Amino acid sequence: MTDDGLIRLAAGLAIGLGAIGPGLGIGIAVSKAMEAIGRNPETENAVRSTMILGAGLAEAVAIYAFVIALILSLVV
Amino acid sequence: MSIHAVMAPDVLFHIGPFVVTNSMLTAWVVMIFLVGVSLLATRRMSVVPESRLQNLMELIVEFLLDLAEKTAGSQVGRRVFPLVATLFIFILTANWFGILPGVGTIKLVDPHHPEHAAPLFRAATSDLNMTIAMALIVIVIVQVLGVTTNGVRGYLRELSTPLLLTPIHLIGELSHVISLSARLFGNIFGGEVLLAVMFALVPYFVPVVFMGLEMFFGFIQALIFSVLAIVYISLAASGHGSEEHAGAH
Repeated sequence: MTDDGLIRLAAGLAIGLGAIGPGLGIGIAVSKAMEAIGRNPETENAVRSTMILGAGLAEAVAIYAFVIALILSLVV
Repeated sequence: MSIHAVMAPDVLFHIGPFVVTNSMLTAWVVMIFLVGVSLLATRRMSVVPESRLQNLMELIVEFLLDLAEKTAGSQVGRRVFPLVATLFIFILTANWFGILPGVGTIKLVDPHHPEHAAPLFRAATSDLNMTIAMALIVIVIVQVLGVTTNGVRGYLRELSTPLLLTPIHLIGELSHVISLSARLFGNIFGGEVLLAVMFALVPYFVPVVFMGLEMFFGFIQALIFSVLAIVYISLAASGHGSEEHAGAH
C-alpha cells in the first residue's frame, strides 16, 4: 500500500473509531435524561439544558478525532 | 465533485508585514456589526425599554448574567460576566455569520493565477488561529487569577501537591487550551464541510435541514465555550478549593 493510501486509511479509522465512544456516551446521557423526565416531568427544562450541555461535551471527543482525521487528510 | 476544504485560511492581501486572511476579514465584519448594533441599542436607553432592540439586548444580557451567576455564584459570576458575555456573543455571531449566503461562495480571483480563487469571507471560528487565541485569553486569565488569589507560593504548591504529579498538572493546564480551541474549531469547520458535501450531493431543499442543525450547533458551542470559561475561571478564583471542586464535578 502506498503512503498516501495508508494516510487515508488512518484518517478514516481515526474518525470511525473515535466516533464509537461519544456515540455510546451521548446515547447513555439521552436515555438517562429521558428516564429522569419520565419520573419528574416538571423538571424537563432543567434536565434538557443540562443534557444538551453534557452531550456537547461528549461530542467534543468525536470532534477531536475529526480534527485529527482532518490534519491527516488535509495537512500531512 | 470538488469540495473546497482547507484548514489554513486563505491570504487575501498584506498590510506591511501583516497578513490579512479571509477569516480575519470576517472577524472584523462581525466586530463592526456587533459594535453597530450595540450603539443602536444603547442610543436612547430607558428604564422601561421602549425600543424592541433594547428589549432584545436586555434579554440576551439577562440570560448570560443568569448563566454566569448560576454557574459561578453571584460574586464571582458578576466578575467574570463581562468577559464571558463578550466571548459568547462574539462566538455566536461569528458561528451564525458562517451560514450566511456569500460567506465562502464569493471568491476573489488572483489575476496572475486564475486557477487560485480564495473565498472573500470565511467564518471566523472555522479558523484554528481564532479559537486558539480565545482559548489562550481564557487560560491566561485562569492562571493570573490562580496566582492572585493563592499567592505565588500557594499557586506553586497547588501545582505540585504530590510532587510526582507536577508534569501531569502542567499538561492538564495546557490541555485546556487544546480542548477549548479544537472543540469550537472542529464543530464549525466540520459543519462547513458537511454543508459543502450536502450541497454537492443534493443541491435543493435538503441542505436547509443541515443549516438549521448548524445554527443549533453554533449556539451550543458558544454556550459550551462560555460555560467552560466560567467554570475554569471560578475554580481558579475560588482560592484553595480546586481539589474539592474537581471531586464534585
